[in-house]
Amino acid sequence: MDPALQDLIYLNNAATTWPKPPEVLQEVAHCLRLPLHEPGRTTGNGSMDYPSAARETLAALFQAATPEHFIFTQNATDALNMLIHGFVKKTSEPFHAVTTELEHNSVLRPLTTLEQDGAITLSVVPFRNNTVSLAAIKKVISPETRLVVMTHGSNVLGSVQDIKPIAEYLHANDIFLIVDGAQTAGHIPINLSDIPVDAFVFTGHKALLGISGIGGFYVRDPDAIAVTKQGGTGTDSRVLTHPSDMPMRFEAGTPNYPGIASLYAGIRFITSTGLDVIGKKTSDLTRRFIRELEGDKNIVVYNKHPDLPVVSLNINGIDNHEAGFILARVYHVITRTGLHCAPLVHERITGGRGCIRASFSYLNTRDQITTAAGAIREVAESADT
Amino acid sequence: MKEYVLDEPLTEGFLKFSEQFGTVRFLDQLKKPYFSFEKEHFISIKGFVGDSNVEVRYKKEFQDLVADYFHLMLYYYREGEPGISKLKGLEDSIREKMNVRLDTV
Repeated sequence: MDPALQDLIYLNNAATTWPKPPEVLQEVAHCLRLPLHEPGRTTGNGSMDYPSAARETLAALFQAATPEHFIFTQNATDALNMLIHGFVKKTSEPFHAVTTELEHNSVLRPLTTLEQDGAITLSVVPFRNNTVSLAAIKKVISPETRLVVMTHGSNVLGSVQDIKPIAEYLHANDIFLIVDGAQTAGHIPINLSDIPVDAFVFTGHKALLGISGIGGFYVRDPDAIAVTKQGGTGTDSRVLTHPSDMPMRFEAGTPNYPGIASLYAGIRFITSTGLDVIGKKTSDLTRRFIRELEGDKNIVVYNKHPDLPVVSLNINGIDNHEAGFILARVYHVITRTGLHCAPLVHERITGGRGCIRASFSYLNTRDQITTAAGAIREVAESADT
Repeated sequence: MKEYVLDEPLTEGFLKFSEQFGTVRFLDQLKKPYFSFEKEHFISIKGFVGDSNVEVRYKKEFQDLVADYFHLMLYYYREGEPGISKLKGLEDSIREKMNVRLDTV
C-alpha cells in the first residue's frame, strides 16, 4: 500500500468501500489482461465469461432461481432509473406511487420528476423509530396505487426495513415493489426466493466490494418493465428492434467487464468469508464506535442501535463540514458529511443541516475505530472551548 | 470548491487581517490550529494555521465576481494596514455588481 495511505482511517464505506480485498483487485487485473470473452460477439477463446459467472454468484448470494434475471447497470441510481421509468412507461396511464422519507435521491429525484411530469401522483411515507412500517404504508395505499419504491437500509440511520411483510402485502394487492438494496447487499442475508419483491436493486462498489461503475437489479417479471435502452447485444443483429430475451433485454452495448469481474470477485470474497462473519465483525465495530462516543455531551448520535455499520452524528458547536474537514486533515479519518443525498431524512433529524457519517466495512479494524472515535472526541472538546 | 497550495504557510496574522472582512472561526486547541473564514455571498475558506493547503469555496451565484477574492486577500494582506482599505474598496465595487445582478433577477 502507498505509505501515504498507511495511516488513513477510511470510514466512508456506505458511499464506496475501500480498500478492496486483494482478490478483487487481482480479478480486475486478470480480466484486463485477457482478451474479452463476449458471448455472442467475440468467439470464445477460453477466457472467463465474467457476466455469466457474476450472474450465477448474484443468484446464489440472493437465493434467486433465475440468474438471467440479474441485470448489470452502472450503479444503483442507473438501475432505479431504469426500473422506475420502465414501470411508468409500461403502465402508460397516470397512477399513484408511494415512497418513503428514508430514500436516497436516486429514488426521490426520478419519482419527483415523474410527479412533475404528471405521470404519477406521489405519497411519501414518514419514518418512525428510524424505520417505515407496513402500517404506515397501508395508510397511503389507495386503489390507484401501482408502485412502491423503498429502501431496504437507510444510508443515514443504518436502519433496515422489515420488507418481508411489506412485500407480501403489496404482492397480494398487485402493487409493484422496487426495493433499493444499495446499503444492505453484502451486509445482511437477503433471500429473494422468500421475499416477494418485484425488483431488487444493488450496487457493486459498496458492501459487495467491487469497483465503482457496476451495479444492477433483479427483476422477477421482466414484462412489468418497459425497456428504455436499445442497442447492440451481439445477437439477432439483423433485427432492428431490441431482443426480448433475458438478460440482454435490459442490457445494450458493451458491458463493464472489469466492473463485473470485480463484482464476481467481491461476492466470492463475501461467500468464502461468510456473511455471518462479516456481519458479526461490522456489528462489533459499530457498537464499539458508538460506545466510545457515548457519554460525550457534545456528540449527538442519531441512531444508537443501527442494523447496518452506519453511524450518523453531529458535534455541538461545529458545522459538520468543518468537523469532517478537520477529521480528514488532522487525524486522517475519512467520513462523509452533509446530507448524504437523503434530504428528507435530514429534514427530520438534523433540520436539514446535515451530519457526519462514519460507516465501516469488514476490512476496518478495532484500532481504527478506537482512534477515529478519539479524534471525534478531541474535535468535540476543541469546539466546546 | 478549489484547493490551493500556497507558496507560504498561512499565519495567525492573515487571520487577524481576514477578520476585517468576514467571520473567522479559530480552534487552536486541536493538534493543528484550525480556522475557517466565512463571507456571505463571497467565499468560505477552511485551513490550518501553519499549513500551505487551503480549501476555498465560492458562492455559486456570484462565482464569476468573487473568483479572485481569495488571491486579493493574500495580496493586500502583504501590504498591511493600507491593504485593508484597498480591499474594502474593491469589495464595495464587487458588492455593487452583486446588487445590480440581484435587482435584475
